[in-house]
Amino acid sequence: MIQKLLIANRGEIAVRIIRACREMGIETVAVYSEADKESLHAQLADEAICIGPGPSSESYLNMERIMSAAMLSGADAIHPGFGFLSENGKFAALCEKCGITFVGPDAAVMENLGNKQTARNTMASAGVPVIPGTDHPVLDAERGRADALEIGYPVIIKAALGGGGKGMRTAWNPQEFHLAFLTAQKEAQMAFGDGTMYIEHYVEHPRHIEFQILADSFGNVIHLGERDCSIQRNHQKMIEESPSKALSDSLRERMGEAAVKAAKAAHYVNAGTIEFLLEKNGHFYFMEMNTRIQVEHPVTEWVTGIDLVKEQIRIASGESLEIKQEDVKLLGHAIECRINAENPKKHFRPCPGTITELHLPGGKGIRVDTDIYPGYTIPPYYDSMIAKLIVHGKNREEAVAKMQSALGEVIIEGIDTNVDYQFEIVNEARYKSGDFDIGFLEMQERDS
Amino acid sequence: MKFQHMFKRTAKRTVQSLKKTEVPKGLLRKCNECRSAVFAEEVKENYYICPHCRNYFRIHARRRVEMLADEGSFEEWDGQVVSGNPLGFRGYEEKIALLQDKTGLSEAVLTGKICIKGMPAVIGVCDGRFLMASMGEAVGEKITRAVERAAEERLPVILYACSGGARMQEGIVSLMQMAKTAAAIKRHSDAGLLYISVLTDPTMGGVTASFAMLGDIILAEPNALIGFAGPRVIEQTIGQKLPKGFQRAEFLLEHGFIDEIVERKEQRDTLARLLKMHQMPFETADTDFGDALPIECPFSQMDAWEHVQLARAKDRPGGRDYISRIFTDFFEMHGDRCFGDDRAVTGGIALFEGVPVTVIAQEKGHGTKENMLHNFGMASPEGYRKALRLMKQAEKFARPVICFVDTPGAFCGMEAEERGQGAAIARNLYEMSALKVPILSIVIGEGGSGGALALAAADEVWMMEHAVYSVLSPEGFASILWKDSKRAKEAAGVMKLTALDLKKLGVIERIISEEDGFSEKNMEKTVNTLRLRFREFLKKYLPMEKESLTSRRYQRFRMM
Repeated sequence: MIQKLLIANRGEIAVRIIRACREMGIETVAVYSEADKESLHAQLADEAICIGPGPSSESYLNMERIMSAAMLSGADAIHPGFGFLSENGKFAALCEKCGITFVGPDAAVMENLGNKQTARNTMASAGVPVIPGTDHPVLDAERGRADALEIGYPVIIKAALGGGGKGMRTAWNPQEFHLAFLTAQKEAQMAFGDGTMYIEHYVEHPRHIEFQILADSFGNVIHLGERDCSIQRNHQKMIEESPSKALSDSLRERMGEAAVKAAKAAHYVNAGTIEFLLEKNGHFYFMEMNTRIQVEHPVTEWVTGIDLVKEQIRIASGESLEIKQEDVKLLGHAIECRINAENPKKHFRPCPGTITELHLPGGKGIRVDTDIYPGYTIPPYYDSMIAKLIVHGKNREEAVAKMQSALGEVIIEGIDTNVDYQFEIVNEARYKSGDFDIGFLEMQERDS
Repeated sequence: MKFQHMFKRTAKRTVQSLKKTEVPKGLLRKCNECRSAVFAEEVKENYYICPHCRNYFRIHARRRVEMLADEGSFEEWDGQVVSGNPLGFRGYEEKIALLQDKTGLSEAVLTGKICIKGMPAVIGVCDGRFLMASMGEAVGEKITRAVERAAEERLPVILYACSGGARMQEGIVSLMQMAKTAAAIKRHSDAGLLYISVLTDPTMGGVTASFAMLGDIILAEPNALIGFAGPRVIEQTIGQKLPKGFQRAEFLLEHGFIDEIVERKEQRDTLARLLKMHQMPFETADTDFGDALPIECPFSQMDAWEHVQLARAKDRPGGRDYISRIFTDFFEMHGDRCFGDDRAVTGGIALFEGVPVTVIAQEKGHGTKENMLHNFGMASPEGYRKALRLMKQAEKFARPVICFVDTPGAFCGMEAEERGQGAAIARNLYEMSALKVPILSIVIGEGGSGGALALAAADEVWMMEHAVYSVLSPEGFASILWKDSKRAKEAAGVMKLTALDLKKLGVIERIISEEDGFSEKNMEKTVNTLRLRFREFLKKYLPMEKESLTSRRYQRFRMM
């Protein structure tokens, strides 16, 4: 078993991982930037090492410094959390070379899944349904135009190495294609240094349904049900829940099987997530596989009763899965709201600053994963998510009611947050009905 | 840290010695500049540049050749040349043997022939691992042989300098290598051949004071330390701390000693481009300029003062505006090789419809910031010396010279006088009179006095329709003759400074009409006219014998 774990991350996820370690009796090493001296993760860990100035490129993204911290502290494993280096194959390979356990899949597996084209090909040949799209890299608009016609409009143009909605454009007809392609490619070039594009059929009004899987190094793969992450703004998830209202038991079974098949096809080990697009007609398509712990993992934890971070650590330590597929039962309903330091009235502009007053909800079925405390100053360098509010009820109605109550109780003073915005969403009739797709927020904003 | 000691531990302290992890050897290396650890592999993929601080790592000679040469094109020369031990220095031979073993090189420089994007050249690359690439007999010999052979085979030479200077272990013999290499380069140059010197970190002492500083074109890598005396020696001698950036490539650029700083990843392209522009002697350039259409235009009737104001207008196109629209592949060259790089004069080599030309332009810049940078187009002596240097270079490579004149006058300042403003202008007139390539000058804005003439002792002088050209500014004229600079408008009226006046006086050959609303943003039509006229000019002057060209130019001014 891992004895000393370095957490190569910050914020609430670092705190979350440290907590799992504290329960497991594993020593923890936090790394922090100069801007994060006062952050909770650096204080809660058994040891903390400063790895450089505030900007991520000089701290949380600097592999050399993180590796030096690991050597210095004698850590035998690194947990990358999400974001930063979590899906960086080079970093995973580096850990391997240095004899440090990387809590996540193998570097090669990660790189194959990180490349959308390779991932798609792997899935298609394993019999996992994929969206009709190009099976070769597209570098110029003319070629792309021909491909788009073959695939059928509407099409979406994506960066092969992309993520987070960058380098992505939709074209509804051939007239729109040229400009959309060039814009997406330019964005991709700037964000990822690579202008290789990928074109696929644009699935209209889909739901974003993802399946959590766990895979050990002995070939055992199980899925832990789905998460519905359709409430998104600009491709960024805002609210997630499990189970999804859109899945019947038989569809869940079919999608779950596909997810397990996908993980097996990729020779995946550790916790991972298969993202699907679900069309109204019940067709579902593999989108991508996330090779890390997800932000929204707590909803799965709550309905399954499984601690995903602990499972990650056990799997990385070489242990086999104790749970079998038939043991997995989804009990009740869980919802997560992301709380961000941003101002919805000013185009969701990030609002770093000092928290002067803080009250967080509690009670039965309420969980708050956060790293903020009264007097804490949120640095300007990082992602604006500062907390996750998760609720659990015996059914969706109760969960929604709990979320309404809990959000209504949140008080964060000194900075702007999206709490009111989230509160409005969970009080929307359409949200409450559970009948929505990934266009929900866009439509909401258009209507208001 | 607010709560750090308040949280209670739950895990036992691990025993450190159980399993000690270590970074495998060779995985990381340290950047000397930012002191951070970097992945050796990443550095290698990134042209040996630190991914964090952009510091340039030193490169082995063979790696450097690999980075520049077309695959498989490198042919090593004189791989067996080794130094003797002229001083009988103890342990020297053993040291050399050790380094030969370590580096796989016979000596501190690798020479041979390569192709860069299909362009053949002779190359020499110093390797700092070998006694800091100090120049002993073998280094001097290998460079000399390579340059001699280049002259025989009529090939250009590229030398990548990197050296601590003379090789102490070889004493006075090492010193003599400076004279030897310089002499070989002189012969190569006299044969009309191109030598590009690339200075890398560090280029010091006897190497700087010989082959490194003798390039027709001198390039440098960013932040490379380049100098004669080492910074420590200077500090000890003068008892002062040297300022940051002293003797760095950027410092040398500012002080006029190098043409351009080129990033490592751009070097192959830049060298290929420069080689191509010097590939053939100009006379043989096979370009048919076709027949130019005669363009007749009515010239506007305005009073002289209106012309003066138009010539000075803020949005009037400047030298760079013309260069970027008329020429392609402009490669700017900086510095006078003596004192500084005057931004009031922009110069370099470019292609006009495929033919290499030397372009020199006085530059005012647009907007206050640029005006300041370019000193409002008022050139200093180093600006005129840069122009002359480029003209002499054009002569060597048989390229025509095209000058764009736009200056209120040569810079009037103490510094300008200290460095010989008058002498610099005089020298240009003197040398231009006998330059053996065609010279065309176009007054595009203000042609202010001697400061303008220093770029206009040409075969033909043209003026833009609203340009003015005069012995002095109207303000200066009025204040000298009438002791009242406010009478400038009146002065302009009597000075005969408009294009039409000067054409009548026979001072200029041609007037180029300007389109309506002519400005930096609206000049396409006018540029097209200029292009046609340039073709005509080149068609007429390029085939001329050197003798008749210079005697024609002599007569042109002789008649005035």
